[in-house]
Amino acid sequence: MRFAGTTRRRSVIVGLSALAVLGQPALAQAWPAQPIRVVVPYAPGGTTDLVARLVAQGLGERLGQPIIIENRPGAGAMVGSEFVARAAPDGYTLVMSNIASHAISPSLYPANTVRYNAVRDFTHVALLTSNPSVWVAHNGSGITDLATLRTRAAAGQGLDVASSGAGSSNHMLIVQLAQLAGITLHHIPFRGAGPAMTAVIAGQVPLMSDSLPSAAAHIRGGSVRAIAMSSARRHATFPDVATFREQGLDLVGDSWFGLSGPAGMPAAIVTRLNSEIRALLDTADMRARYAEFGGTPGALDADGYTRFVTEEFARWAPVVRASGAEAG
Amino acid sequence: MELLINNLGHGFAVALTVNNILFCLLGCLIGTAIGVLPGIGPVATISLLLPITFGQPATTAIIMLAGIYYGAQYGGSTTAILLNLPGEVSSVVTTLEGYKMARNGRAGAALTIAALGSFFAGTCATILVAASGPLLTSVALSFGPADYFSLMLLGLIISAVLAQGSVLKSIGMVVLGVALGLVGTDVQTGQQRFTFGVPELSDGVGFVSLAMGMFGIAEIILNLERPEQRSVLAAKVGSLFLTKEEFRRAVPSVLRGTLVGSMLGILPGGGAALSSFASYMMERKMSRGRHEFGNGAIEGVAGPESANNAASQTSFIPLLTLGIPANAVMALMVGALIIQGIQPGPRMVEAQPDLFWGLIASMWIGNLMLLVINLPMIGMWVKLLQVPYKYLYPSILVFCAIGVYSISNNVFDVYQTVLFGFVGYIFSKLKMEPAPLLIGFVLGPMMEEHLRRAMLLSRGDVMVFVERPISASMLAIGAVAMIAMMLPSLRKGKDKALAE
Repeated sequence: MRFAGTTRRRSVIVGLSALAVLGQPALAQAWPAQPIRVVVPYAPGGTTDLVARLVAQGLGERLGQPIIIENRPGAGAMVGSEFVARAAPDGYTLVMSNIASHAISPSLYPANTVRYNAVRDFTHVALLTSNPSVWVAHNGSGITDLATLRTRAAAGQGLDVASSGAGSSNHMLIVQLAQLAGITLHHIPFRGAGPAMTAVIAGQVPLMSDSLPSAAAHIRGGSVRAIAMSSARRHATFPDVATFREQGLDLVGDSWFGLSGPAGMPAAIVTRLNSEIRALLDTADMRARYAEFGGTPGALDADGYTRFVTEEFARWAPVVRASGAEAG
Repeated sequence: MELLINNLGHGFAVALTVNNILFCLLGCLIGTAIGVLPGIGPVATISLLLPITFGQPATTAIIMLAGIYYGAQYGGSTTAILLNLPGEVSSVVTTLEGYKMARNGRAGAALTIAALGSFFAGTCATILVAASGPLLTSVALSFGPADYFSLMLLGLIISAVLAQGSVLKSIGMVVLGVALGLVGTDVQTGQQRFTFGVPELSDGVGFVSLAMGMFGIAEIILNLERPEQRSVLAAKVGSLFLTKEEFRRAVPSVLRGTLVGSMLGILPGGGAALSSFASYMMERKMSRGRHEFGNGAIEGVAGPESANNAASQTSFIPLLTLGIPANAVMALMVGALIIQGIQPGPRMVEAQPDLFWGLIASMWIGNLMLLVINLPMIGMWVKLLQVPYKYLYPSILVFCAIGVYSISNNVFDVYQTVLFGFVGYIFSKLKMEPAPLLIGFVLGPMMEEHLRRAMLLSRGDVMVFVERPISASMLAIGAVAMIAMMLPSLRKGKDKALAE
């Protein structure tokens, strides 16, 4: 276990030596010479943690060094992200960058607590997976599709919609849907997707905006009814569930998870990591695993992922402001 | 009934393969070890050990992880009793009478009744899970936010009973605990409250830091201050076995604790956390030894320990029947299952009968193993008290620091623990009990969350709290408890009881 003081001292030394050998191919060839640490900016057990562990094993085998998952939760995934932004860009410390840490939280939290720039302070390496959100309804709610949802919301005083928490990507979808459809939706935030799903199954809240991986088993098991998917096209695992677009509403939004390191990582390491990750994601085994929980493997090169993060950051900032959610 | 026996038979057939028994034993051993080490919790351990389980069949993996989970519950009571170090919400209550018993030279008896009570409660709760898991799920689902609020409010009202001195001071501590619980991100709006721009505080004050500091570290400072009492403690280890009288007193407490724990454990919203508090309060009011509370009453160990073990078994019900994890440990188990290619969900009983019944059978086997591991080790644990304090306390401090750091790999949590240690020391100088503070800290934020959710769903109509029968009856019991506390005759009785 390393303490912050020694890490910082070490990073200065490594930073200096990295400068000295910068541009020399030897550095990249020797890499990885020690275990690689992947910081998950959430507590163990969530989707980010799961995606990280799914990839860590296979990637470690391919690189010939173990990958160690380190959970550093806090502040909408910003504590762990900041830690990596300040680490040495030597390819041994990476973070699970995601829609919260790199697109929503930086706009959500007051400027003085956001101590990194989601684009400039990182080397974005690879997109690991993205998955749509799915809106599910309580079985006895009478809501079967977007049309009935709109009618019900217009007839009464709006509808209650649960989410895994204020400021989550699913909360942002609720805000966007209300805007686009011109209806009133009351956001009911919970502490995590589990309690929210329980409330929908019990019928305390009629609707929920949930990520597909956490809702998949409940849709398959029939304990809730899927009414619309936030992907651009129908999902291969759930071909029966229509998208919002098909139902006449231009609402598309995936949550995503990728790997990023501190700014200034050597290009050779980035290229190597990106190609190993894409090769791993393309194996039959990984494809099958991803299909089960409803994720789509990422296929972007490092530049593509950097552009993607930049676009997502720009896209969500105005929605966060409109949501009225603020952490400040 | 016949179906149940068939299913359980199937479960035992799955759980009793050599491989599964070995992994169950391994899980129980690791769990006991991390439970005994202060601060190192099952979440950090399971996430470290998760890769080991990838190579094993899903059932084996889950059996081992479950072993770690309830092994840690067992081990946690050991440090709570011997060193006044509660590592989990449930063991806070165990420190109250358990540590007093240890100081009276009855550490062995306290550990023995904790192990026996837990085993009995675990056995009953396992049968309950197997027999009526799906039925109990509907009970859990009928609890809405208003009902949870009233349940927690009832808990807070009755927690004034926990006070060992002045009621006013204990209400003050509950309120302070609630205030500390409010630190962090507001669930409804995402607003930061009392975080002073410190990102580490955005998820709130850590429970383990608070509990370790207030109980364990503060106790170390106090012990260093008065060397004479320490030597008394070290000299008096006493008999390890229960006297006949102790056994007779503990039996009804174990039964009551098992009942309360099994019921509350089913509720996914913090029911398990409430169970040991609830049992302690019950014992304090109902048991024959209630006059000894505060001085090491065995009922105060037997009841809560049984309750928390029963609750930790029945808290598997939401996971097994709905596919929804009740706490962080179970969220990790879900993760392990998904990595194995199994989606836990409402259909797990039909789709994965091996896993479902194998796990239930292994719960009982695990409890039996824990009893067998723990009973002979009690003598060894108690000897720990004879280690000279000048060696013991630095090791406790080091393990606390490592444990607290491992929760989120952040030194901030260690500083927090140190701070709460000093605060706890000051509190004990002022004769203010930390237990009500911790209850306020645990229940306050949950209560607020459910209150606001209930109000949000009812569009601001407070009638929802009296219209729902569950909520209304909780509030009624709370009101009766308040009136009872205020009636002077009963107050006198309480004071007299405390004076004895």
